[in-house]
Formats: sequence, C-alpha cells, structure tokens
Amino acid sequence: MLSIKQGRYSIAFVCMVLGFMLAVQFRTTQDMKSTLPYQRVEELSERLLQTEKERDSLQEEINAVKNVSGGETETKAAKELQMQAGTVPVKGPGVVVTIDDSKTASKAGENPNLYLIHDDDLLRVINELRAAGAEALSINGQRLIGTSEIRCAGPTLSVNNVRSSPPYEILAIGDAKNLENSLKMRGGVAETLKVWGIQLNIKQAEEVKIPAYKGTYTFKYAEFAKGEGERP
Amino acid sequence: MILAVIGLALGIVLGVLCPLSIPLAYAKLFSVALLASLDSVFGGLRAAAEEKFDNTVFISGFFTNALLAALLVYVGDRLGIDLYYVALLAFGVRIFQNLAIIRRYFLKK
Repeated sequence: MLSIKQGRYSIAFVCMVLGFMLAVQFRTTQDMKSTLPYQRVEELSERLLQTEKERDSLQEEINAVKNVSGGETETKAAKELQMQAGTVPVKGPGVVVTIDDSKTASKAGENPNLYLIHDDDLLRVINELRAAGAEALSINGQRLIGTSEIRCAGPTLSVNNVRSSPPYEILAIGDAKNLENSLKMRGGVAETLKVWGIQLNIKQAEEVKIPAYKGTYTFKYAEFAKGEGERP
Repeated sequence: MILAVIGLALGIVLGVLCPLSIPLAYAKLFSVALLASLDSVFGGLRAAAEEKFDNTVFISGFFTNALLAALLVYVGDRLGIDLYYVALLAFGVRIFQNLAIIRRYFLKK
C-alpha cells in the first residue's frame, strides 16, 4: 500500500473538495439528460415533417378523387354551394391587398408591438372587404370559409390552422372599385394602419384566382335538422 | 492513503446531500475544472510517493489549475476556439502519466 507521509491532511481536504465536485457534476449531468432531451426534439420534428408530407399527399388524393366523382352529376346549385363553401377554386375580378410590418423603427419607450401586424388588423381588413361585398377571400393562399380562424400564433398568423408570416397577401373577389374604396375611405382601415407605418397596398386586378379550401371538415356536434326553417 | 479515501467519501456524501446543481451554461466549465482538479490530486499523490510533496504548491496548484482551466474554456468559448478539447486532452494525458508513475511506486513496494 502506498503510504503518504507528507501532507496527508491537505490531500484529504483536496480529495473532499474533489468528491464534492464529482457529486455535483454527476447530478448536473443527470439533470441535463432528463430535462433536455435533445435527440428527442430532433426525432419529433422529423416525424412532424414526415406526417405533414403524408397529409399533403393524402389531401391531393382526396381532391383528385373528388374531381373524378363529382364531374358529371354536378348541377348548378351544387356548384354554387361548393363555391360558397369554398371547396372549389374560384376566379374573377377583385383586389390584391398586401400588408407588411412597419419599416419605421419604434421610438424608445414605445411598444414595438404597435408596429407589427396583428390578427385584429387583418380581421378589420377582412371585415371591411366582406362589408364591401367580397364573394371569396384568401389570406396567403388560405381560402377563408365559415370556420376559418385568423389569429396570432406567436410571431406568425394562423389561418385555417396553417401558419404564415408577413407579408400577407389578401385576395378578394368582388367589385374591385368598391373593395378598394372600402379600405381607403377616410378614417378607414388603411388610414389607421398607416399611422403605425404598416404597409398596406391595394391593387385592383382583372382576374384574381382564389384557391379552394385545402383542409377537411367533419361535423362532430352539429347535425342536420330537417324541416326547421329550411331554405328551398 | 486511508485519510484521502475518507476525505473523498465525505466529499461525495456532502455533494449528494447539498442540493446544488450547476446551471447548464456553466456545465462545460465545471467539467473542465473537475478534470483539472482530478489531475492535481493525482499529481499530489505522485509527489507524495516520490517524497517531494510541497503543501503550498499542492493546494495552490489545485485551485489555480481548476480556475485557470475553466477560465481558458470560457475565453475560448468567447473567441470561438474550442479550448475545451485542448484542456481535456492536456489534462487527460497528464492524469494518465501520473497514474503510470503512481502505479510503478505501488509495484516497487
């Protein structure tokens, strides 16, 4: 056995400090493994990507099947209903509205949030367009239907549960002049947003193409109530 | 030797009982400091075996080595140079050298 004559106590003391450090390091490593599942995050994002791809391909399949099956038996009424529901792409004259975050820097002490686009800004634009008789609307390629939501999702915007970031392009079909005027009227949406430097561009277009609603909807709670104020 | 083992055990018990955990940002620095102290301890054991042990050199070496190693890694992190691996390699090599020398003394006895 190795015998230490000199400095037994200092070696013992240093060993104690070392033991303490070892124990702390051991626990730190243990904590790190339990709280930070690095690999797991990667794995999950990979799986999410894969699932999204699968969903897209399945959606395409559904659309293809729909087109084949509905091709011949379509009546005018059914077509109109589909247009209303947003399950078919539509085109027509209208406006293209692009909205982007403010370029002006916020002054010191001011809330920088004021210079960003929020869901309520977009909701006001959409509402104004609808009031002016817009027949079909889409935001960044997402068709607005009865159940569409427009809400902030962190720094992005969620429409039909699809997130997108600025600039936002709103397509609207309707009387182009009316639509443009509705936004540009005195004290209207465009003027309010301009105060904060938010860029709002309105362009009339001969033909606007609005895509179909790409999601699915199944009614889980609502049922068809027969004979109660039904429209012929 | 027995005293050293007792000290080590006491330290481990203390460390387990003490609810201290290193923040994630400093975990790297701490691990290098730990390695440096490990090296110092083996160096001290070796010096003791060679009967060249100096108390002041040992104690000051233990703390300055650990702090310096952590500082080096910190500076390296700031400069974008991975001095972490440099410290690991240097201390690792030294630990093995010291161990080899200690082993020889063991065998001689």
